Amino acid sequence: MATWEIDGPRKLPLDNVRQLRVSTVRGTVNVVGTDGPPSLEVTQVKGRPLTVRTINGRVELSQDWHPQLLALFIARHRRGPIELTVAVPRDCPVELRLIASDGVVSGLRSRVGARAVSGSLTLVGLSGPVEAQSVSGAVEAHGVSGGLQTETVSGEITLVAGSGDVHCKSVSGAITVDPDAALDGDVTLSTTSGDITVRVPAESALRVQFHSTSGQIASAFPELARTDMPGMHMAQGVLGAGTGRLWASSTSGHLALLRRGAVEELS
Amino acid sequence: MTPVFGHGRLRLYLLKLLAESPRHGYEVMQLLEERFLGLYQPSAGTIYPRLARLEAEGLVSHRRQGGRKVYEITPAGRAELEARRAELAALEAEIRDSVSGLAEDVRVEVRGTVRDVRAELKQAAQEMRRQQKQQRQRNQWEQWMSGFGTVSEPPAAPPPAMQGQTPTARDLERRIDSFSDHARDVAHRVRPTDAQLAECATVLDDALERIRRILGDQG
Repeated sequence: MATWEIDGPRKLPLDNVRQLRVSTVRGTVNVVGTDGPPSLEVTQVKGRPLTVRTINGRVELSQDWHPQLLALFIARHRRGPIELTVAVPRDCPVELRLIASDGVVSGLRSRVGARAVSGSLTLVGLSGPVEAQSVSGAVEAHGVSGGLQTETVSGEITLVAGSGDVHCKSVSGAITVDPDAALDGDVTLSTTSGDITVRVPAESALRVQFHSTSGQIASAFPELARTDMPGMHMAQGVLGAGTGRLWASSTSGHLALLRRGAVEELS
Repeated sequence: MTPVFGHGRLRLYLLKLLAESPRHGYEVMQLLEERFLGLYQPSAGTIYPRLARLEAEGLVSHRRQGGRKVYEITPAGRAELEARRAELAALEAEIRDSVSGLAEDVRVEVRGTVRDVRAELKQAAQEMRRQQKQQRQRNQWEQWMSGFGTVSEPPAAPPPAMQGQTPTARDLERRIDSFSDHARDVAHRVRPTDAQLAECATVLDDALERIRRILGDQG
């Protein structure tokens, strides 16, 4: 086990990284998968130094984290923003715990778990299972293909160019999904008051079920059967061979199923 | 943190890639992705306009090979590369050393893409909801009126068609709707020039004039 502190801009090589855990209170954290040697690059530290702890290939980076909640409030005043980038092997599992920090994770094949309180999470090119939670920050995923589970309270969730299974849940944040190719997995989206917008290719093979209590449902696929009654709005049916599954529900948010690359027609 | 590809540096790097050997646009994109540890995934929308601009400036040229454009550096391009050798060396050193600059680039790029997609989809969804609402109101009106077996003018919507009736004003209206949908779609896809616009306007005016004449409208 080795522990050291970093209090200024610095680059240092890390050897034998098999697992990474980062917790910061303010700032920006980037984690990138690399085929080259793993390294840590700190571009800015203000206030408390960054503590690096390594135990048997498990690397922990934290800015003097104190578990007591009270300490957090006091801490906000003495911690400065931190900016750091860690390059890790592509198969290294990563865990982020961020408070008021933005996180970017990219180019990994391993499991990724990220939690943010008020910062945003950007997930790019991840082929392993990803779990992302945020309270008020946005979750943006680009090219996530190994199964994505995300949950926010008021943060918007946007998925672009991904595939695989997707589970998104938000209270008041909007959910927008625009995969490049046809959805082939199990996609479940739900919100309370956030709008849900999904765009799929015209030749999709999907079983679709859209449901909302008081939100409007708009669909560019006339083949979906609709039910519109006060208190229950539904659109469901099978598109093409129906190999994938798309399920979306809201309490008061509007739902829309758009068709990619065609004139939008009415159903 | 400065983005790795600020201030015309992508352009410099493109020249460098083409100086190594002539390549397709797609190959250039793949190479960029490879050299940037898979972090920077340039889109066709970023690369092709840049290549076109380089070509307009006479720094690269292209020839067709099997239906694809193969880009090649010109002597002028080599001269520019030579003049900016120090800058290129600095850029390459930075790419090797600075994952943080790369990560920042990735973030900016992805944020931009995601924001564009989100705005586009939101607008499309809103438009569709608006259209569907109108359609629903029209249907309700028709249903309601057909219960009375009478035909009268709804406030804003066109006169409802009776069942089993042969071509009516409503059918014509539907055709006009679908015509304008299609025309709008074409106009969206192809960005028309001023000359094309003027020509289209004439065609539209003519068509309106002829419809008026056929229907015997005097106004």
